Amino acid sequence: MKLVKLLLPLITLTISAFSVPAQHLSDASLVAKGAKVYGENCARCHNARPAEEYSKKEWSVVIPHMRAKAHMTGKESLAVEAFLASTLTADVRNTPSHESADAPKRTGAELVTQFGCQGCHQLKGEGGTLGPVLDDVISDKGEAFVLQKLIDPKFNNAASAMPKYPMTKEDIAAIIEFLKQ
Amino acid sequence: MKKVLLQSAVTAALSMSLMTTVNAQENSSLDIGRLAIAGYGDVTYISQGNMKDEEGNDIQNNVVARFVPIFLFQLSEKIHIEAEIEFSTNEEGETETELEYANMHYFLNDNTIITAGKFLLPFGQFGANLHPSWINKAVSNPGLYGGHGGNGSLGGITSILGDTGISIANTWNMGDAGRIFTDFYTVSGPRQEEGDHGGGVEMEVKKGDNNDSMAFGGRVAYAFLPEWEIGISYYTGEYSDDGDLNYSAYNIDFNWVGSYASVRGEIFGSTAETEGETEAEVEGEHGEEWVKDFDKNGWYIQGTWQARQLGKAWLNPIELVVRYSDIESDFDGSIGHDFEEDAGKMGSRIYYGINYWLEPSAVLKLGAESTSIDNEGAGHGGIVDDRVFLQLAFGF
Ligand code: HEC
Ligand code: HEC
Repeated sequence: MKLVKLLLPLITLTISAFSVPAQHLSDASLVAKGAKVYGENCARCHNARPAEEYSKKEWSVVIPHMRAKAHMTGKESLAVEAFLASTLTADVRNTPSHESADAPKRTGAELVTQFGCQGCHQLKGEGGTLGPVLDDVISDKGEAFVLQKLIDPKFNNAASAMPKYPMTKEDIAAIIEFLKQ
Repeated sequence: MKKVLLQSAVTAALSMSLMTTVNAQENSSLDIGRLAIAGYGDVTYISQGNMKDEEGNDIQNNVVARFVPIFLFQLSEKIHIEAEIEFSTNEEGETETELEYANMHYFLNDNTIITAGKFLLPFGQFGANLHPSWINKAVSNPGLYGGHGGNGSLGGITSILGDTGISIANTWNMGDAGRIFTDFYTVSGPRQEEGDHGGGVEMEVKKGDNNDSMAFGGRVAYAFLPEWEIGISYYTGEYSDDGDLNYSAYNIDFNWVGSYASVRGEIFGSTAETEGETEAEVEGEHGEEWVKDFDKNGWYIQGTWQARQLGKAWLNPIELVVRYSDIESDFDGSIGHDFEEDAGKMGSRIYYGINYWLEPSAVLKLGAESTSIDNEGAGHGGIVDDRVFLQLAFGF
């Protein structure tokens, strides 16, 4: 009995500690869900504001304001925060960190899922409508254009809602390969 | 045994609070902030060369500016505070300060938000969601939301855009069938204007209430995201000093937002009971008292279209806007009554604009607007009411 009493806090602590990482914020499905919620909600009233306008800390304060405006649920708001955060580095200028060069190489399909492109774009009939359909973008606009768009989404449209992703050159090349298919 | 129970209760409470700290720590990989400053500002040049006021004097062209900071605080996952203060210069060059809102949100559960303080009423769309200048696609307001400058020939319908009280907002998710948003609130309510006749409904928000009664209102909307949202709002409250005259308003808003284009509109009406006295038959005695309805009704429709659809890089930042507003007011059916300035008027206003986007929240707007009042008897008939605007608006 004594033992149980002693262990009880420990048990609950461990359980609670384990239940949290299950919805870790860098969870790819949470990010993809956040991109979808963003694509569906964030241009309803005003132009969608791209992630790099605020730091992660500022977004965590701005999103509750928008949760109220947009009638989003708590879960949806958290997903949007996760999506925005996933496109931001700690650095305000959002320059890609080259440490990730050691990270396992990811395929174009994985990257497109992970970056939530389909929150805003349709690919093979699946995805959001905030941005244009991407199926034929390479053949229509050329590889150089898409490359430039991924490096700096505002290069051809100052009002673009598309996030400036902290991607490496390899990431971009893999996404372009994937979009060619 | 009691002790054990107590102990486990304490343990449970403790571990629950621990759980939230674990949570908070976990979230901090996302960097939880405490304060953010946002807001918007604008500079507007208004050219109204042909306009005269009611005495026939020229109305000057002018430049007005606004700076509207928003302070957002996150006290905890559940509690969020927001306040917005507007600093503006008016046509006379004076500086005005106004508290737009200051309130606390309590996130009760996943789909319920309780708000207390001064807030923008969830009544229609424009007042609550679309008026900040970097969001508003036009430089001016839709006719029924009130005039601006000039001879103000088109009076607004309502004062009920921001008020103090408490509200509860909910989201009901129906999966593929869309979602329903509900908002219900009670606020201190409209006031009576000071004036000879006891006055009509005060159109400017003031501190405090003049009577004991609260006003009630709500909005129920159906949304099929990302494209559609249709809402119905209602508001009712006593406005007179003795609390026996009612003011009520309804609004139906629809919104369609596509990838390149949007169409929005609102139908809006209000009824204010007004009281008076007929002329006494015998001198020195009171006549018969009456209460009659003073109605205002209006609607607007606004379309926007982004030229990036044309696929030419230099057209990417350009957006076109057209808005038509219509408004009529009617004092118990008798057009031309002079009880209130706006009594018995029918008017319309059209706005054409070109917006050049510098950033997702910074825009240069060029617009032209023309207002016509259709019935001469109302006093403003025949007076030119046209203007050209140039505005730089930014959200930050
Ligand atoms: C129902 C309308 C509505 C929706 C939907 C909406 N916003 Fe807003 N947003 C506003 C309004 C209104 C303001 C201006 C607030 C003010 O001036 O009081 C604003 C302001 C902002 C700002 C400026 C900072 C601030 O808090 O004022 C950012 C950033 C922003 N919105 C992002 C978003 C994002 C991200 C989403 C999607 C999750 C979103 N908005 C959805 C209405 C909306
Ligand atoms: C938050 C929404 C959003 C996300 C997420 C997003 N985009 Fe975009 N994207 C847009 C919008 C909006 C446009 C169109 C406006 C513009 O020109 O920037 C666009 C434009 C593009 C274009 C140019 C298309 C054309 O026909 O001009 C390409 C290519 C593109 N995005 C690729 C991607 C890829 C790849 C991803 C994922 C790594 C992605 N986008 C993620 C919003 C988004």
